[in-house]
Amino acid sequence: MTGAPQNGSSQNRLRVLLIEDSPADAEIEIAELRRAGFDVAGDVVDTREQVRERLKKNPYDIILADYSLPNFRGMDALDMVRESSLTTPLILVTGALNSETAVECVKQGAMDYVLKDHLARLPISVRRALEEVRLRQERARAQEQLANKVEELARSNCDLEQFAYVASHDLQEPLRMVAAYTQLLSERYQGKLDSAADRYISYAVEGATRMQALLEDLLAFSRVGRTGAIPAPADVNAAINEVLKNLDLALKEHGVTVTCHPLPTILADRFQVVQLFQNLIGNAVKFRAKRNPCITISAEPKGREWLFSVFDNGIGIAEEHKDLVFKIFQRLHTRTEYPGNGVGLAICKKIVEHNGGRIWVESELGHGSNFRFTFPAAVADKAGKTEDYELCTQNPVGRR
Amino acid sequence: MTMQGEVDILLVEDNPDDLELTLHALRREHLANNIFTVRDGEEAVEFLFCTGRFAERSFNQHPRLVLLDLKLPKLTGLEVLKLVKNDPRTKAVPVVILTASREERDLVASYNLGANSYIQKPVDFDQFREIVKTTGLYWIVINQHPLSNPLSMAATQP
Repeated sequence: MTGAPQNGSSQNRLRVLLIEDSPADAEIEIAELRRAGFDVAGDVVDTREQVRERLKKNPYDIILADYSLPNFRGMDALDMVRESSLTTPLILVTGALNSETAVECVKQGAMDYVLKDHLARLPISVRRALEEVRLRQERARAQEQLANKVEELARSNCDLEQFAYVASHDLQEPLRMVAAYTQLLSERYQGKLDSAADRYISYAVEGATRMQALLEDLLAFSRVGRTGAIPAPADVNAAINEVLKNLDLALKEHGVTVTCHPLPTILADRFQVVQLFQNLIGNAVKFRAKRNPCITISAEPKGREWLFSVFDNGIGIAEEHKDLVFKIFQRLHTRTEYPGNGVGLAICKKIVEHNGGRIWVESELGHGSNFRFTFPAAVADKAGKTEDYELCTQNPVGRR
Repeated sequence: MTMQGEVDILLVEDNPDDLELTLHALRREHLANNIFTVRDGEEAVEFLFCTGRFAERSFNQHPRLVLLDLKLPKLTGLEVLKLVKNDPRTKAVPVVILTASREERDLVASYNLGANSYIQKPVDFDQFREIVKTTGLYWIVINQHPLSNPLSMAATQP
């Protein structure tokens, strides 16, 4: 609305509000601008009331103000521009100004100042001011667009989560029926029909069971963003103990050694921390080495973050698959080689990112994998290293 | 199915397929002799409050267990639960929520309204049968309840 040249016939049309009590000075300033190629139009005023009136009616490209008029200070015009919610640039044009005052005026928001005995600078200063305004407007527009995009993205993410939830929730019911009745069929008619029938029924049962598992996983995935759980200090050591208890059977069965270094307390939903480590350790067990499988868990401070590592000596991941493993429903092996739905690591990624961290994997095919992820640091940890707890709580990690 | 008089379990379920599964599971445990089924929330309320279609029922013949689904036509399970638990004539009737919902808010709401138990129907059919069996045995066989003796119930009423 303001600042931008009004649909003028030429690019050089310049609407000026000239706050000046000397007609002769005004004349010279306008002449200077015209000589530089500006098609000048506008008004010359010298009282507060006039300025207010003009600002109300007319958006100007630029305001040129004498620093001190008998009853008006040039800088007052700046306040009035702001009061009118305008962004019109203001240049002080003045007889004499000591450099301290000049700097102070620029600090307060004057775009520039031009001395009256150096008026040749005026057109340059005006061009620069107009350019500056244009850039500011562009920046503001870009920022607004970015803000809109972010909001749009958040909304579509939210929609997606809602969709995943509804889909998996409502699909669960009919599927439960398919699964239950095929199971009933197989119980009641197994061996009473021919062998093909038995096989078909078993395929149907398997298919329904697998789909149930997929829906369960999809629900778990959608739940990461939906829980309203408020992040609280969570001791990762305790979380790991819980995970190791949960996985005890599998760890013993496959003779997996787990080494766990001292771990910090982080600000996160405890349940999600358990789920994160359970998925990572469970994964390491699943893709373990044939001989002496082992897993090492550690964490080190890196700036304002903790860098965690879940390191195994398992089968590893090829370079080209390193990003793929975090995609939902992405599997690198056949179901008979390694069971699973390809949701575990996607959930890990979502948990880490939901808490303001990053996750990646360092690996070489056949030489183990090192899953690494960051969490914002929080709270004094056991090693006595204190982090600014207040600072961390001001940036809540569980963004919704 | 039985006469409306001697009802052990009132089963409130609108899906015929789900209904049959639950009945199948109860039958296996011989718990299905005195079962009455209603198909929506309104019918459940009429049954329990002896009104409308069930006007001739008596409050002395409360079921020993109500298995209540949450997603129901006309009145939702939570609305039924609220009515039952807010009325001195029915509040002692054990109500077990049997639902597919694993939503925390449904769970919390059910308990806040006075549900006696909340069971999420497991997807696995064997587990489902096991749960129906355990629930039925517990509430019908093991649990002692004043309703088994209508007189003791009457004595506690204001």
